[in-house]
Amino acid sequence: MSEAPAPPSERRTFLGIILAAIGAFAAGAFGWSMFRFLAPVERGGEDSQVRVARNLVVIGGAHFFAYQGRPAVVVQPRAGEFVALNAVCTHLGCIVKWQNDTQDFLCPCHAGRFSSTGQVLGGPPPSALDLYTVTIDGDDLLIG
Amino acid sequence: MKKILLSKLFFLLIIFLLAGSSAFAADTSVCIECHAGLSGQLGEIPTAEWHTSVHALHRVSCHDCHGGDPTDYVEAMTAERGFIGVPDYAEVPAFCGRCHVGVEEDYRASLHGQLVESGGPNCVSCHENHAVQVATIDLINEVSCSRCHSYDKPALIKQEISDTEEMLSSLEASITSLYRVGFDTERLQNELFATRNDFRRLFHSVDIEKIRAETAGFEAELEETKATVDDLEETLGQRKIAGGALVLLLILGGCIALLIRRTYESHD
Amino acid sequence: MNLAKETVDWLDRRLGVRELLHSNLGGYLLPRNVNIWYTLGSVLLALFGLQFLTGLLLLVYYVPDTEKAFASVTVIMNEIPYGWLIRYLHAVGSNIIILFILLHMLSVLFMGSYKRPRELTWLSGFILLNIGLAFCLTGYLLPWSQLSFWATTVATDAAGAIPVVGDQIIAFMRGGPNVGEATLGRFFALHVMGLPLVFFAVVGFHLFCVRRIGISKPPFGDDYLPTEIPRSFHHEEHPGGIPFHPNYTVKDLSMVFFALALLVGVTFFAPWLFIPPAALEPADPFNTPQDIKPEWYFLWAYQALKIFPSELLGLASQGVAMGFLALLPFFDRGLERRPAHRPLFVTLCLLGILLFVGLSLWGHYS
Repeated sequence: MSEAPAPPSERRTFLGIILAAIGAFAAGAFGWSMFRFLAPVERGGEDSQVRVARNLVVIGGAHFFAYQGRPAVVVQPRAGEFVALNAVCTHLGCIVKWQNDTQDFLCPCHAGRFSSTGQVLGGPPPSALDLYTVTIDGDDLLIG
Repeated sequence: MKKILLSKLFFLLIIFLLAGSSAFAADTSVCIECHAGLSGQLGEIPTAEWHTSVHALHRVSCHDCHGGDPTDYVEAMTAERGFIGVPDYAEVPAFCGRCHVGVEEDYRASLHGQLVESGGPNCVSCHENHAVQVATIDLINEVSCSRCHSYDKPALIKQEISDTEEMLSSLEASITSLYRVGFDTERLQNELFATRNDFRRLFHSVDIEKIRAETAGFEAELEETKATVDDLEETLGQRKIAGGALVLLLILGGCIALLIRRTYESHD
Repeated sequence: MNLAKETVDWLDRRLGVRELLHSNLGGYLLPRNVNIWYTLGSVLLALFGLQFLTGLLLLVYYVPDTEKAFASVTVIMNEIPYGWLIRYLHAVGSNIIILFILLHMLSVLFMGSYKRPRELTWLSGFILLNIGLAFCLTGYLLPWSQLSFWATTVATDAAGAIPVVGDQIIAFMRGGPNVGEATLGRFFALHVMGLPLVFFAVVGFHLFCVRRIGISKPPFGDDYLPTEIPRSFHHEEHPGGIPFHPNYTVKDLSMVFFALALLVGVTFFAPWLFIPPAALEPADPFNTPQDIKPEWYFLWAYQALKIFPSELLGLASQGVAMGFLALLPFFDRGLERRPAHRPLFVTLCLLGILLFVGLSLWGHYS
């Protein structure tokens, strides 16, 4: 094998190939992230409904359960009327408690109060509790 | 057209005034303006103390506890505007408990709460009244607790809760640093806050058996939060590795381009 | 049948592309001592290109409504795959671009390339600097964070110092007495359509000027002598030079790679450098955060306004400084471009840099 250095054109081609490969890889990586960025997002939560047995929610009472990984509550303020809400207080995140005597929600952390439909009645919470749709399905309630 | 414009302006003016007055109430009130100039315990001391407090940070001002009207000099301290004044020693738990509902519940059920009429500790005994800070485990200490009794029981309780408190602190720190780099930590912060509050109100029962029994539950909740935090931190770590590789690759590309240039230079 | 050659032949018969390619690439001879500062133009083009691409991608998910803007940015950062990457590239990119514009401008000042016959190149470049700053100012408001809201309030307040029409100018900029929905609307329109259109036009003109008169010879080396410009138009030739392609195209490419490495490095390892905590909270028009400061490239102006006894004087002094810089080639008419032979100018330059850095640091720490 001769010890003479490769002629410039050979070196150029070799280096050029490496550079093209690096460029292609970088562009490919960016292109892939762009593709994923633009691709439609799979909304798996669309059909994640929760079933709650109707008899768990007495008239004037509340039943707490989990919905989409967060604490939720369903109440029956009047016979046949069901309201499902996010049970996380909008102030700093504590879980609200249902008050049977006053038929509203009280947050034990800083005394935020919400009506049975989630409206802020008093205290520091800045906004109402999120509502979830409730459909009656025989003996069950379908939330979401 | 003019009527609509005028009514819109009027509406904006009302909004502005309401906004102005609410901002006014939160940042300075007639209470602070007057009492900051009064000497001693009546004025300058509590107002100065309040400014350093966690209440001031969250814009909980004089009238939020003492009632009254923070926007009206004349009617500020009248009963009609809801002024309550200074609570007696034994009235303090109910006073603070108007907001801190959960804590008052556990306190009332405790030995401390049952003894408050005869001089047992009230909220201010440990938490101060105006210079209130965010509670830490060091509020339980020898100096404070041995004012009334020996320190061995409080020491046991402090020991019992210290592990959980450590988990809370480290999670708080992790979530804060995740927030700083742009993650949406609202859910995590809410989860942590709820667990923290439930755990800390538990202490006020000063019942070591109760605390022991419920600690496992809290630690399980914290483990769940930790799992989410660990997930995010791992994602962050992976991103950094990918980023590092990409940076090195780009630098390599630049160097190779310079080498290619060299081949043209040596040519001529 | 070489496909590449066939394609070029087809285009050449219809558009004469071979001649164009030759006169701008292989046949375009440049001096051998063109230094690394000359690559900044290409680097800026690449960075701006990336900025437009990331901006376009962000536009797919961003909602320009005061109620939804911050939430839409949160979705991009946390839910859209690689949204965080696109957003950070865009935010960090804007800062890197300003840095490189300043370096580009400094090298032109230092080498006297703004002098005649290149006044129009300088002027269009100066306009591009201002367009870049306008991009930053308008873009900043869009996430509708505390920093967005209040930094825009402070920045637009400055115009109030203008006598007689000051308040009307502020109201016109904001679309109302305060920053709000109207401000977001017009800043969004400017950032996404208005400024890009003007930018493309001016950059096109800037590049045309650069190419039309020919690249300037670096004012270094023993054989450099200042020469008088000809009476009529004359493209500057460098007969003993080396072709633009491949010598300088490859050099430009390497610098683009290094600049991208810097951008990617900051994006992945320190994106929070340009994102203070106030930028992480949604805007609250009733709650001004403790110290609201503009971004680093506006700190000099912010501090200058504070040190002058009257705001009008502060504003006027900035106007004079910028005006002087814009019209520099009309003041500095000497032919000499070698820095070693322009001691007064170089000193003024250094003083200017010190003043910029000093005011910025002062503004940052005050």
